[in-house]
Amino acid sequence: MFEIGLNEQGEVVVSGRLDAAHAPRAQEFLDAVEGGCVVDMAALEYISSAGLGVLLSTHKRLMSARQGLELVNVNPHINDIFRYSGFDKLFVIRIA
Amino acid sequence: MRKSYKRSFDEIARIVADTAQFFAEHEINDELRMKVDLSLEELFVNMVNYNTETDRDILLEMNPVERGVEVSLTDYDVERFDPTLMRQVDTDAPLSERTPGGLGLYLVLKMADSIHYEYHDRTSKITFRNIVSSGGAG
Repeated sequence: MFEIGLNEQGEVVVSGRLDAAHAPRAQEFLDAVEGGCVVDMAALEYISSAGLGVLLSTHKRLMSARQGLELVNVNPHINDIFRYSGFDKLFVIRIA
Repeated sequence: MRKSYKRSFDEIARIVADTAQFFAEHEINDELRMKVDLSLEELFVNMVNYNTETDRDILLEMNPVERGVEVSLTDYDVERFDPTLMRQVDTDAPLSERTPGGLGLYLVLKMADSIHYEYHDRTSKITFRNIVSSGGAG
């Protein structure tokens, strides 16, 4: 199960498991995002390299306009994946 | 546990559910779940993506070991591809040079406490272990 949408503050909210089966839906959603964007990951349970790829490609696209993704409420397990992947050097990450 | 899965990303949900059931039945420390789920998905996806010459199912075997779990994935009618020989990903590279490619197997090698590859008769088998360290999850 994976869900992606916008909250009342205009932040992207993701929940569930962002795996290879669900990455295309996440990519499609994030492809429509313009400008700087906060992604609330409080309810995200899991992410694989397919999900990391979605975040990376979106961040690169937005950074070309000096914007980017900010990843907030990241749980410690997912933060470990971000650190192993070097994402802590590329993104603004705020741990839950 | 010994189960077969079709060569489709739709099978990931079933693998996750079967893994959860196996962990519960064998009382394996749930702290290992994220690492096992991640390694399993990355290896399974790699097999689905890079072996398109066959329709044969991919075999998953899972066994409890002391303080952890041993997991094997077997693929058939396949060329040799040893993921343990993967080139390192430069995780210090700037954003402009980063691509998602190779990150999956890099994470598998990072997560596994041990990993072993066998190839014979056009059959690839990769086995990894995750063990709880004395201070917590391995």
